[in-house]
Amino acid sequence: MKHSVDEISGQHQLEKLNNCALSFNFYSPTRLIFGDEASLQAAGELNDLGARKTLLVTDKTLAQTEVFKAIFSSFADNGYASPIVFDSVPPESNLLCVHEGLRLAKKFGCDSIMSVGGGSVLDTAKAIDICLSLDGDILEFQGINNLPGKLKPMLAIPTTAGTGSEVSMVALIKDEAGEKLLYASKYLAPDIAVLDPGLIVSLPPRLTAGTGFDAITHAIEAFTAKYNQSPLVKFYCLEALKLLFENLPIAYRQGENKDARALCLLASCMAGIAFTNTGVGVVHALAHTIGAKHCTHHGMTNAVILPYGMEFNLPEAASQYAEMARYLKIGSPDLDELALAQALIKKIRDLMVEVNLPKSLKELGISDLDKGSIEDLGFHALTDPAIMFNIKDVAQEDLCSIIKRTC
Amino acid sequence: MPAFANQKELVTIMIALWEAIKADPKMSDDLLKSKLCVQFRYRDPEGIITVDCSDGEDMKISSGDSELKPDIEMSMRGDVAHDFWTGRLGAPAALLTGKIVSRGPTPKALALLPVIKPAFAIYTKVYDDFQKAPVV
Repeated sequence: MKHSVDEISGQHQLEKLNNCALSFNFYSPTRLIFGDEASLQAAGELNDLGARKTLLVTDKTLAQTEVFKAIFSSFADNGYASPIVFDSVPPESNLLCVHEGLRLAKKFGCDSIMSVGGGSVLDTAKAIDICLSLDGDILEFQGINNLPGKLKPMLAIPTTAGTGSEVSMVALIKDEAGEKLLYASKYLAPDIAVLDPGLIVSLPPRLTAGTGFDAITHAIEAFTAKYNQSPLVKFYCLEALKLLFENLPIAYRQGENKDARALCLLASCMAGIAFTNTGVGVVHALAHTIGAKHCTHHGMTNAVILPYGMEFNLPEAASQYAEMARYLKIGSPDLDELALAQALIKKIRDLMVEVNLPKSLKELGISDLDKGSIEDLGFHALTDPAIMFNIKDVAQEDLCSIIKRTC
Repeated sequence: MPAFANQKELVTIMIALWEAIKADPKMSDDLLKSKLCVQFRYRDPEGIITVDCSDGEDMKISSGDSELKPDIEMSMRGDVAHDFWTGRLGAPAALLTGKIVSRGPTPKALALLPVIKPAFAIYTKVYDDFQKAPVV
């Protein structure tokens, strides 16, 4: 009996998935509520978790929007106490902002936290919840697996499709010196994530592209990460990539297209679940470092570095890239592994062109990198925790070489 | 069978390991440059080892409760420590799966992992030598 190319490709996928380590550890504690206007159910969901007074964390821009006002009103409309709004979260959250939010929460006796916003807002909400629940200095809880127990009820509503913070167990907060403090714990994953596509239809095209590439980078780096792989991680990554490759260009061109927005949001969440189990890699390590130094957009910085990071990882990751290419039907199935891997990298470059993303650090606004600055960035990226999950071992020289190529 | 029979065995082996790391000029120089004080807190069996590089000049290794306030604390079961040093369990995997708890600016400590790579072979020798030593 003859098999079609699709059938053979499908069989191949199953074999590959079966070849995953059959002993694995997969964690995804966040309940997902998905749908148009789902954000209006948030008040009731929080009440079901025992919340009686909620701190609603957001930023100043969002606080002025009609969608935010509708979420706020939905509390009183459904007979629940109106939340206390904390809208002072800056684009990159810091300790000062966490302390400010905590003061407000304590003043009004809040017993739960809800966040509406991008990654910075969601991370701030997580940090406030740490202090509110454990009643200590936020610095004391810095680290990995360092939270002693469950936090107060937390519900997250993302307004971008990229960070995955609504399901991740991580929060990054800047200290006074501008250094990022890392909080990672299973107790940091929100109890509930509400994914409401209606909230992201007004996201401008440039941010749609940038945040979308954050999610693409999560999926690619999680798929190839060195540790804790599982069939579930692989499935989430492959499906997330499929949805993003198909829908990101549509969401970019037609922001009002709710179907495309919904599928990008879903894909971002799936990629978030994947990377929270495996970690990310060299692309994120560099994007964190470059972003901290030059205040560039995280997703766009990821996009610029992604093809070069993949080329660096190619000797170790060719089979994984080929697996992704086959699933995404990129390149002819009879190509060898290396050719398929290269086809995937080319597809990513093509997609970047399609959604008008910068293709170099220069286009991102960084044009003054001398040898010393590159070495400094390489040195700092080497201490980024993302680096340890990368499929290939990385030295400072490797990082400098990737930066040089992205210039 | 657990990797360490009791607290004395764990502490003796870990102290011997860190003394060997201290004696290696390359590893000790790189660790001293970090100026970090790291405390390892073990359970099953219990034991505390503190490696203090905070003055950047002398690596001080001690066991038991310490007056020092470490920059970073790493807590784990004795078996997890053994699996790490024998190369069976990577630190990233142990952190991802909750087998190691770290308190403090963990990335600074994780950045030192490549520095201590040569210590993996040392650990195996130290551990095997201890197991072969006649019971007194």
